[in-house]
Parts: sequence; structure tokens; C-alpha cells
Amino acid sequence: DKLLVVPQDGSHWLSMKEIVEHLSERGHDIMVLVPEVNLLLGESKYYRRKIFSVTYSLEELQTRFRTFGNNHFLPGASLMGPLREYRNNMIVVDMFFSNCQSLLKDSATLSFLRENKFDALFTDPAMPCGVILAEYLNLPSVYLFRGFPCSLEHMLGQSPSPVSYVPRFYTKFSDHMTFPQRLANFIVNILENYLYYCLYSKYEIIASDLLKRDVSLPSLHQNSLWLLRYDFVFEYPRPVMPNMIFLGGINCKKKGKLTQEFEAYVNASGEHGIVVFSLGSMVSEIPEKKAMEIAEALGRIPQTVLWRYTGTRPSNLAKNTILVKWLPQNDLLGHPKTRAFITHSGSHGIYEGICNGVPMVMMPLFGDQMDNAKRMETRGAGVTLNVLEMTADDLENALKTVINNKSYKENIMRLSSLHKDRPIEPLDLAVFWVEYVMRHKGAPHLRPAAHDLTWYQYHSLDVIGFLLAIVLTVVFIVFKCCAYGCRKCFGGKGRVKKSHKSKTH
Amino acid sequence: GRLLVFPMDGSHWLSMLGVIQQLQQKGHEVVVIAPEASIHIKEGSFYTLRKFPVPFQKENVTATLVELGRTAFNQDSFLLRVVKIYMKVKRDSSMLLAGCSHLLHNAEFMASLEESHFDALLTDPFLPCGSIVAQYLTVPTVYFLNKLPCSLDSEATQCPVPLSYVPKSLSFNSDRMNFLQRVKNVLLAVSENFMCRVVYSPYGSLATEILQKEVTVQDLLSPASIWLMRSDFVKDYPRPIMPNMVFIGGINCLQKKPLSQEFEAYVNASGEHGIVVFSLGSMVSEIPEKKAMEIAEALGRIPQTVLWRYTGTRPSNLAKNTILVKWLPQNDLLGHPKTRAFITHSGSHGIYEGICNGVPMVMMPLFGDQMDNAKRMETRGAGVTLNVLEMTADDLENALKTVINNKSYKENIMRLSSLHKDRPIEPLDLAVFWVEYVMRHKGAPHLRPAAHDLTWYQYHSLDVIGFLLAIVLTVVFIVFKCCAYGCRKCFGGKGRVKKSHKSKTH
Repeated sequence: DKLLVVPQDGSHWLSMKEIVEHLSERGHDIMVLVPEVNLLLGESKYYRRKIFSVTYSLEELQTRFRTFGNNHFLPGASLMGPLREYRNNMIVVDMFFSNCQSLLKDSATLSFLRENKFDALFTDPAMPCGVILAEYLNLPSVYLFRGFPCSLEHMLGQSPSPVSYVPRFYTKFSDHMTFPQRLANFIVNILENYLYYCLYSKYEIIASDLLKRDVSLPSLHQNSLWLLRYDFVFEYPRPVMPNMIFLGGINCKKKGKLTQEFEAYVNASGEHGIVVFSLGSMVSEIPEKKAMEIAEALGRIPQTVLWRYTGTRPSNLAKNTILVKWLPQNDLLGHPKTRAFITHSGSHGIYEGICNGVPMVMMPLFGDQMDNAKRMETRGAGVTLNVLEMTADDLENALKTVINNKSYKENIMRLSSLHKDRPIEPLDLAVFWVEYVMRHKGAPHLRPAAHDLTWYQYHSLDVIGFLLAIVLTVVFIVFKCCAYGCRKCFGGKGRVKKSHKSKTH
Repeated sequence: GRLLVFPMDGSHWLSMLGVIQQLQQKGHEVVVIAPEASIHIKEGSFYTLRKFPVPFQKENVTATLVELGRTAFNQDSFLLRVVKIYMKVKRDSSMLLAGCSHLLHNAEFMASLEESHFDALLTDPFLPCGSIVAQYLTVPTVYFLNKLPCSLDSEATQCPVPLSYVPKSLSFNSDRMNFLQRVKNVLLAVSENFMCRVVYSPYGSLATEILQKEVTVQDLLSPASIWLMRSDFVKDYPRPIMPNMVFIGGINCLQKKPLSQEFEAYVNASGEHGIVVFSLGSMVSEIPEKKAMEIAEALGRIPQTVLWRYTGTRPSNLAKNTILVKWLPQNDLLGHPKTRAFITHSGSHGIYEGICNGVPMVMMPLFGDQMDNAKRMETRGAGVTLNVLEMTADDLENALKTVINNKSYKENIMRLSSLHKDRPIEPLDLAVFWVEYVMRHKGAPHLRPAAHDLTWYQYHSLDVIGFLLAIVLTVVFIVFKCCAYGCRKCFGGKGRVKKSHKSKTH
């Protein structure tokens, strides 16, 4: 069968790539739609690429990503935090929008896609270009999604999200909230709608242009299947819908052998073992002062630290710390000598930590990372640090705590065993459901009827209003009747009262 | 591991059997407990059966079932029917409650269960006696159920049920309702609590006594680790679910055996027209004569051979094409390519056997969830529903001819069948996996939603809304007062005039 893939550049692509490769091995004909300027969407023997042109250069792309990553180390007033985070995100998000704009105006590419009769479209809906394209090409679609931003799968999939125990993104709350936290969650929930509007309303405009009708973006998401990159070992349990498939940990299945270089590092670490440290591919450079603080803390622990860092080497780097430009993160975490994992707590890293049962020291930087860190912290599997405020002592203490306090190892091992105990591997599940959509041309039987209701119908407000009106009418009539009855019975008094009343007016 | 099973008697038990057999084959030790007065629960080679005495006899149970089958054909007025059903439910449930109480007060039996140190309990929570046993023994629980009445299952799992598109049972609504249907749905939701109280609240009192702490029915049901639900979203309408619900619809129609010589002969003799399978389930033993004759007449008018599972008196007008049997291998017959239609009471087992095998259905729902099952198949164009009390011979004849000759019925049921059978893992394996999971991990606390720890007004954020409203009102009030004050200051003269005028009138 023929599958069209509309990916999201960046780390999101890594887990999608794995599914795509697996599908290709099973004999499907796969075409990936790729902007000519990209980071990770390279050539592959598993799929063909259809390249479309964009309005920015590779240099601009790299600069934007670098600025985005490094901006998180700029100190600033915490009150302006959300606004800064938003502006910073827009550096990258705007670029993705322009790339979508280019695609949807590229009539040659569009007609090429139309002529190729695909069976389904597989996309990451964080940026809804693929969603619009699926509607345009009239293809059943499958989404692969982390849940960030805005919990789109729940917002657009009609699953109820009680604000009382389902924490919203950016709140850093757990599922057990105090009254002020629930209050904040309630307000953030309202703001989330505004964020949705800010992020996606312009997509509605280009979608309307393309489809030549007024398009409401949520209506394009109704018939799809959501493959979600989380599970309920990581996420707090909450209501979900039947068209959601949970694939947490899909990225950490295969474990390769370490290369000689890394094998040597690990073997040389002795009884104390190693610590793996990576802030992800977005962060290329840390401000010197911060980097030196970190280097100092790392020098104070007996473990060997493997630090993935592309910036300038801090002058105070201790002997036990090895800087590398890249490291085989999952394979290293899977090594029995690994004692801890210092991570920016992106969803991939967190799941690699869970899969391999490595306690974590988390330095969340942006997006869902604060919330990811909170989830691990409430489960006693890691310690969170504020990267801007932490001192060398804080980092040292955090590392010593997760390494020496046995409860962290026990907790992450328990999570690991729960996570890995599943009836079917997430990768197989993902492949199954993509094929399912191709076989059955979508999964309309999983589409809830809620999509056909207005918001007041959904909440039965019209019914409640109607019933209330009836009850009030009945009460009113009964009351009037009683009053009338009373007047008749106690005639004298009533009349006296009445005459008295009329006098006053 | 060691698994304790406390099943419900009846058809519920039959689909649990497959799971138990698999678990035993995987090396677990399974102990089944059941009242001495059980009908279907018998000794088996792959489990140990331990019966406990109850203050009623097998005959009493049989009698109540026969009576239940009979009420379905009762021609009384609606109100009288409701009263009769209510009285019957009250009578039957107090009998079953007495059985449960007898078990829980059987110190010797309970102590022996305690000594066995089970790893988990598998039970059908339709009657929450197993739930009390689970709490008494403090073992993690797996529920195996079709559906609980009165949305007790949604309440116990904290699963939201939007009344606007999730039809209540007995509402005859689909997931697409007009305004009046939605009104009916809301009214049913409001009233169902009263209907269920008579059956379920005594279990709360019984549990309070046994566990020596204040326990409600909700407290009994909600600690369950995993809910194995015998449904899926090919039969049911999509709606919110919770992460600890596992859907194993169609678990009962896996194993297919070749037909016995007797039935093979019937099928082969049917010629090109094929056969129709007709069964109203094990609950109905006798149909009133007039109704039975009407049915027999209709069956005689179709060219197919009809295999009718019926234990009552043979209708005098039975046609040649109709063969009465005391029992039939329903799933195996439905799986035969010559089967053209299935006349069923639309119990969940029968419906799933119809879906698995792709046989269009004529449905005569009698009680319980059967009306709802029939409604679901009907909205999907896979069958026709008849009201067994009101239908005539013509109705049945037409219904049969429609589902057999109108190709859309066959197409629809085949589509449902292919959707239903296309799954990443077989429901039986899934059920076995989750029972073992609970045994391995001593429950599944990470799947327990935090909603259980909230009061109802916290859950709905009423306190937060109230608080915000109070703030908004205060601010509005203050702003208003300030403005008023400001206005008075600015337009001093007028304000004073107005005020003095005001004070005069009083």
C-alpha cells in the first residue's frame, strides 16, 4: 500500500522514522514529504522523498534552532517567563508555518501528490500542515503525537479533561492539586484556548485558501487515529478516547552494542560507573559561567561523566568528565554501569531513562519538559533542577542523591518493569494501526458522536435549561394555585390583605 | 501464581472459562468458589472448585430464571410490568444477597481462603460479593464484566459519561440523539440511581458489617485494578474510557469446532437456500402458545431451513422447514457458510457471535442490555429489531426476508466483522495478560485516576468556579461603587439632588 508521510523536522521525526522504516520493511511504498532545507529528514533506503522548496536557507534554519535552544539560558524575570517562552517558540514555529505556506502554494507538488493515489497519510499534528493536506487529498490519516502543545489529542478528540485532576501543560502540577493549584489549572485551561488560537488560527486561513471553503481546523481532526507517544507509567491516568493508541517508549526498543570508544570509557569507570549527561540536540552552547558551574559539580562526584556538549570546553573541566560531540544515549543508558542520567527531560530522553531504569537529574528547558520532569519527580524517580538558578552544590547534591539514595533506583526500576510489561510492543502497535487505517480507509467507527454537537448540546445545557424551565413553571403554577386556594379558604383575611396592599400603591 | 475466581453463574461464567483455562495452562493455580446451588458452574479439569453452602437450593435459582424468561412475554400494562419487575428484582436480589452474607459469615471457609494467600481475584462485579471478598482478603482484583447497571461502572472508574452522546441503557437511543431523546437520556440518568439502590445498597451495608468500616458500593467497586470489559467499539458507540479498562469484546467466539453429524446433516440438507439459526438463549424455556404459533407460521414461510433451539411444547403448526432442537452449537452453526440469518434475543454473547461470523440478525430483545445491543446493530444496518410482544407472523417473515435478501445487511455485518476481527492482539490473550499483570505487580495503582481522591464538587471544580465568581463579583461591586462615588463627586450637584429626592420618597 502507498503511504504519504508528512513529518515534523527535529526530534519528533526520530520516533516517526522508526515506524516508517518498519512499515517499509513490511512492503509498503512510502513517500516522505520533505522541505528542501531541513535538519534530520535525510535520504534513506526505506522511503522515497518528495522535496518541496521553502523560502529560508539552511543557515537561517540553523540559526533559528540555535537561538531557540540557547535562549533558554538567558536570565530574566520569571513573571515574563510565559511570554518569553512563547516568543522564543515562535522563532521556530514561524519557520514551520512558512514552510507549510510554501507547500500549500506549490501547485506542482500538490498535483504530484494528487496524482499519486495514496492509501493514507501519516503525520505529526503539532504543526497541522499534514492535517490540511490529508483533507485536501481526501486521505484517511494517522497522527503520531506527544500531546504537546495544548493536549491537542484531548482538545480536538473530545476526551473530557477534568481540570480538577488533569494538570495542564506549563503548570508543573501533578494529578493531586491543592486548591490554589486547581485554581491556577482552571485559569491555564482557559489560556490554553488562547494559545491554541495564537498557534493555529493562521493555519485556518491557508487551509481555507487551499480548500476553497471556510475551514475550522478542529473539524479536520475528527476522523483520525491518534498514536500517542506516552503511556500511563509516565502520564497520570485520565479519561481517553477509543481512537487513541498509547505508544510510550517506542523510541527505546532497540539496544545496540557500544562502539569501542564508549565501551572503553565505560570500562575505565571502575566500580563507580558512569553518568550520562545530555541536554538534547537543541542546546549547542551554554553560557560560560553556567558551564563552569556544571563542570565543577561534575568534578565532585566519583563517577565518570559522559557529557554531550558542542560548545567551548569549560576551563575547569575535571578529569572524570569526558566531553563528546555525540553519544549513543539509549545504548549507554542500557549499560549496567550507568548510575544516573542528567537530561533536559525531553520525552524521548525520559522514556529512555524509564526503559533502562536509570534515575534522572532533570534540567527542563522548554515546552513539555517541565511537566515531564514533574511526572518523574512525583514518582520518586528523579530530581528536578532549575537550570538558571542552580549552583554547583545543587547539581552535586542532586547527583549524589539519585545515585546514593536507593529509593530512586528502586522507583525507576519499578516504573521500568511496569512500562515494559505490555501485551504488545509499541512499535508493532504503531505499525498495526497505520496499516489498519490503510486497510479500512480510516476508522470512522471510532469517531465519537460528540463531534456533531455544539458545545451547549455537548454539556446538555439546552436539556438542563428545558428541564429547569419545566420545573420552574410547575413550581410557579403550583404556587399560584396554592395562593389562590389560600385566598379562597381564608377569604376574609386575603381580601383585607389585598385592600391593604392596593392602598399602599 | 495463585488466582481466586468468584464468577457469576450463567452465561457470564461461560466466557470466563476460556480465560481460566489459559491461565491454568500458563502454570497458575486457579481456585473457583461458587455457591452450592449453582447451575452452570461445575467441576472442571483446569481449576479447583470449592463450593460454599447457601440458604437456598438449586431449584430456587432455576425457578427464578424460568420466571425471568416468562416475564419477557408478559402482556401486562407498562406500569404493572414495572411493578412486577421491581418486585422480582427485589426478591431475587435479596436471595442472592443472603447467599453472599452466608459466605462472608462462614468463618471457616473465609479463613481457608485467607490461608491460601491468593495473588489476585478475578470476579464479575455484577453482584459485588466478590468485591467484598477481595477487600476482606486484601488481594488486588480484576473485574470481568459486560456492563454494570445504572452506570455503576462509570462511577467506580471515574469515567466521564457525557449524556449528550452516550446513550443510557434502556433508553433505546443511539449515539446521535435529537433534543427529546437527549432529555430522556438526562432523565434516565437522574432516575437510575433510585432503581439500583434496591439491589446494590444492601451490599454496602453488608460490607460495612464484614469489613468493620464505613463502605459504600462505590468504595467496593472502585479499588479494582483492571476492568476487562466484554465489549468493543464495533458493537458499542465510541465514548470516553479510562486507562484501566481493557476491551475484550468477542472473547467468546474464538474457538470453532466442526459440527456434529446431526447438525452437519441438517445444514447439508438445506440446499441452496441455506439455514437460519434461531435461539432466544438459555433463559427462555417456554414461549406462550399463541406467540409460538405465530413464530412457527412465519418460519414456515421462508425457503430456508430453520434450526430453532426451543425446549417448550412443539407448536402445532410447525412447518417442515423448521427443526426444533433442545440445544444447538450456536457459534459453530453461525460460522457455517450456509447460514443466512440469525434470530437472536441479542444477548451480548449472541451478538458477538453474529459479528464474528458475519451473519445478519433478526433481533428480539427480551430484557437487560438486549434492547441496547439490538439498537446498536440496527443503527449499523446489520440487523432488524422486532418487539417480541407486538410482532405478528408477517413482521417476522418480512424481517427475515429483508436481512436475507437485502444485500446491504450482509455487507454491513461483514464490514463490522472485518473491523472487529482486525486487532493487534486477540481478546483472550489480552484478558490473560492483564490478569497475570495484576498478579505480577500486585495490582495496577499507576492506572488509578486521582479523581478518586476528590469530592464531587472538587471534581467538577465548583469550588474553584465559586471562588472565581466571588472574586469577579467583588471586583465588579467595588468598581461599581467607586464609579458611583466618582460620578457623585464629578456631578456633585445632580447627585445630591437625586439623593435628596430619593430620601423624600421613602
